[in-house]
Amino acid sequence: MPELSYREAVRDALATAMRADEDVFLMGEDIAEMGGSMGVTQGLYEEFGSERVRNTPISEMAIVGAGIGAAMQGMRPVVEIMYEDFLTLSLEQIVNQAAKHRYMSGGQIKVPLTIRTQGGAGWSPGAQHAQQLEAWLVHIPGLKVVYAASPADARGLLYSAIYDDNPVIFFEHRLLYPVKGDVPETLEPIPLGKARVVREGTDVTVIATGPLVHRALEAARVAGAEGISVEVVDPRTLQPLDTDTLVDSVKKTNRAVVAHEAVTRMGFGAEVAAVLQEKAFDWLDAPIERVGAKFAPLAFAPAMEQFVVPQPADVLAAIGKTLGRA
Amino acid sequence: MAKVEKKRALSDDRLRDFLREMLLIRRFEEKVEERFRAGELPGFLHVAIGQEAAEVGVCAAMEDGDVFGSTHRAHGHTLARGTHPNALMAELYGKIEGCSHGYGGSMHLYDVERGNLGANAVVGGGLPSLVGAGLAFKLRDEPRVAVAFFGDGATNTGTFHESLNLAQLWQTKTLFVCENNEWAESTPGWQHSPVFDDMSKRALAYDMHSIKVDGQDVEKVYAKASEALDYVRSGAGPVFLDVETYRMHGHYIGDPQVYRSKEDRDEAAERDPIVRLREKLQVSSEDWQTLEDEVHGIVEGAVEFAKNGTDPQPEDALKNVYA
Amino acid sequence: MATDVKLPRLGQGMESGTIVKWLKAEGDVVEKGEPLFEVDTDKATQEVEAEASGVLLRIEIASGEVPVGQRIALIGAPGEELAISGAPEMTGETTLAPAPAARDTEFRAAINGAREENGGRVKASPLARRMARERGVELAGLTGTGPDGRIVAEDVERASASASVAPPSPIEPPPPAPTAAPPSPPAALPVDVEAIPLTNIRRTIARRLTEAWQVPAFQLTVSVDMTHANALLERSRDLNPALRITITDLLARVCGSGLQRHPEVNVQFSDESLLRFPSANVGIAVAAPQGLVVPVIRSVERLSLAEVAAQRLQLVERARTGTLQLADLEGGTFTISNLGMFGVEQFSAVLNPPQAAILAVGATTDRPVAVEHEVRVLPMMTVTLTVDHRAVDGAPAADFLRTVKTFLEDPALAL
Repeated sequence: MPELSYREAVRDALATAMRADEDVFLMGEDIAEMGGSMGVTQGLYEEFGSERVRNTPISEMAIVGAGIGAAMQGMRPVVEIMYEDFLTLSLEQIVNQAAKHRYMSGGQIKVPLTIRTQGGAGWSPGAQHAQQLEAWLVHIPGLKVVYAASPADARGLLYSAIYDDNPVIFFEHRLLYPVKGDVPETLEPIPLGKARVVREGTDVTVIATGPLVHRALEAARVAGAEGISVEVVDPRTLQPLDTDTLVDSVKKTNRAVVAHEAVTRMGFGAEVAAVLQEKAFDWLDAPIERVGAKFAPLAFAPAMEQFVVPQPADVLAAIGKTLGRA
Repeated sequence: MAKVEKKRALSDDRLRDFLREMLLIRRFEEKVEERFRAGELPGFLHVAIGQEAAEVGVCAAMEDGDVFGSTHRAHGHTLARGTHPNALMAELYGKIEGCSHGYGGSMHLYDVERGNLGANAVVGGGLPSLVGAGLAFKLRDEPRVAVAFFGDGATNTGTFHESLNLAQLWQTKTLFVCENNEWAESTPGWQHSPVFDDMSKRALAYDMHSIKVDGQDVEKVYAKASEALDYVRSGAGPVFLDVETYRMHGHYIGDPQVYRSKEDRDEAAERDPIVRLREKLQVSSEDWQTLEDEVHGIVEGAVEFAKNGTDPQPEDALKNVYA
Repeated sequence: MATDVKLPRLGQGMESGTIVKWLKAEGDVVEKGEPLFEVDTDKATQEVEAEASGVLLRIEIASGEVPVGQRIALIGAPGEELAISGAPEMTGETTLAPAPAARDTEFRAAINGAREENGGRVKASPLARRMARERGVELAGLTGTGPDGRIVAEDVERASASASVAPPSPIEPPPPAPTAAPPSPPAALPVDVEAIPLTNIRRTIARRLTEAWQVPAFQLTVSVDMTHANALLERSRDLNPALRITITDLLARVCGSGLQRHPEVNVQFSDESLLRFPSANVGIAVAAPQGLVVPVIRSVERLSLAEVAAQRLQLVERARTGTLQLADLEGGTFTISNLGMFGVEQFSAVLNPPQAAILAVGATTDRPVAVEHEVRVLPMMTVTLTVDHRAVDGAPAADFLRTVKTFLEDPALAL
């Protein structure tokens, strides 16, 4: 099987869609000649030109709004918001406009807009360039939210997001960009709303997103050496959430850990935990554990950053707690 | 309903059509106020009494295929672009026969068939997507224009500035129509904008072509709007149309307008665009009465239609969240 | 027809207004659009215009707070006759249907039922509860190995396969048996010290006994003349050659009777209440290949000595072959622990939680004893009763022990 890095996988999804469909075009800051601040769109400007790979001024509201408007006219724009933290600047357009046009019009309008953004800790980006805000977006009816953790998932899901007729927020993570993985020979679209069992196990289910999928796998390896069989499940699409797959797994293992890099308190994991206890109550042999960042903005100094951000050891400790071996 | 035809010189017939439309909007809005006070209409309502010429003038100049987005004060634009009064009134009553099928209400009126991409309750909120629509028309090389209606209050928002900047930069087919009624809710122009006496200065900052017009004269509005639309449609770039109009009533129905002096409100009445056109055309009392009766019938009929409409099922609230 | 003048809704969310002043008087001519009255809303005082032309025929409410939609006046033709107005009509009132009472009782019954079922707030995971429910297991009889003593699935599982905990006291010498133990990493120790990994059972014992350690307990010791008991045992064995009736069987039967006479000892302390059991379910410690087990002989007071022995033999056999059922191990209310065969003269056993009492039995040995001022050599057995003071006080415990001694010294009395 061929191998692609996560970054290349995202780029491939964009290029494949753009080659097949004139209506797909990109907007974002520094995405043209520079190829994007994370290098994701490198080469696309050269292939598709400035009309379809559009550098924008620093105007998150206008960029997203323009995307909304073009999408309402039947195009399929993909807007890049350079840092997840800057989603905040465009939230009015995302939440009040994109998410609601279909509803408020009584079904007359579609907004097939895709917004790509990246975030997360790593390399001391500082508090304003490191957030994980998926909890805000999954809370808004009308939006879909995707967070892929592997190259194959990123490629297949981004393509499906572009062709979904709803506004989709597609989260990437800076530490995942260089990660390589096997991908199918040709792009295989992955449907939104389907989770993936990344690793099978019998003693405890770890539901993880983004970089925590990889950290959970590492914890699972160590736990395995101690005789604990860990199942790791990646929801991939956060909204709509594939609750069936998650619940089936917990019914099998009777224990659950939910892990994400975002702050634990009031995070996406809290929703997953609530759903699990609601639907698998009589199968739970231990309280559901949550792993996430501690409740503080991200400090600059590396030691402090490492302390706040969840590590494989934190996932391992949570696994231990569910087994009564704290 | 007046058909939108591309005509340059305005015949008296055409002007009479305008008069009828403006009167229809006026009586419709008055009826809406009346029904609101009677407790029949839920939610917020903002009527545009006094701004009819601005609305009719611009909307009459638009063509089929053009799209527009309005503000919270959207009844006039909606009617002027062809939505039937029945559908509009039904929407205000929250019925499924309403143009947004009960999902939107007064501030979220949509009629996609007629190019109505939605009234917006967030001041300035609709502007960026009209830049996007104008971008789509440009990329696809379509002779269509995206018209963004907004008030003077919106010219202070970030979305306004980002939208003008991007539209001018990318030369999108967007027409920005500023209905400057001199009031942002309770704040007079001089209190919210450094350039309140000449809103077109806003456009200057973005090097955007601007046109100014007296909003109380429907003829003039029509002429200038046509000029602006031609310009944009040709691909020459976006235009800022500064329409100087006047808000005769309060911000919302029931607004006691404690912030306006009585003289101020009286003066507004003198600038009534309907009175001005009626005088200009020298409409006779009989003709006027016929017109009033006709309009009255339509408006009453709309209320009747709406009241007999169908309420949505409560569970319908869960539909249309996703496509 | 006169037109009603109603208090208009002047703003979203306006529910009522206060009429401050009428600007026209009854009988005045009114033009549509003329200011008619002033109303105070929570935002401002404002004029309200007349919505019809005519004569202000009647002002129904001159001043004061009025709900939106209420009629406050009438405008009509001059000289028009008005009907006597009754109470002003209210528009748009919604009434809530009264909540049905029947549903409420059902709901309450369900909650109370669930509370009773859970008895004395046993801490158990949802899965353990379900398993216990499905298998008909009493959670109250189990001890939890989860955090904070929570009963977890493993406890319900293990209760059917291996040990719940008892203090050490084999009746039969244990056959050599390997124990399976999960590996754990050795600590750094001097080179000849062997670190034996803890088995699950060892871990469980440690945890449970630490728990029992915290119970306020006291011990009572008494020595028993086993002359008649020994004679009875010999005759019983002759009568039932197939059964090997032992002292333990007799002890179990005698304690059963004793507990019937002293039901205040056949109890368990729980957070909410003292649980009193109607029957004596006596647990006997047995050495099984996996470790110690304490199978229970139920309702011992109803069994003959031979029946007790037969059951005990069956349980021991099952323990040895690892086929004990959960039902064999749960529900015990009292435990007997016998170290007599090792020559131990006297010892105190640790309570077997949640039970309130346990009898530790020593060896029967010939000892010189003073009887009626004479020294005699008699077969004496020393027993020690350990008691949970939260559940049973000294006097009733002593009373019970005296009964046991009496029964052992004259077994016919136990019948």
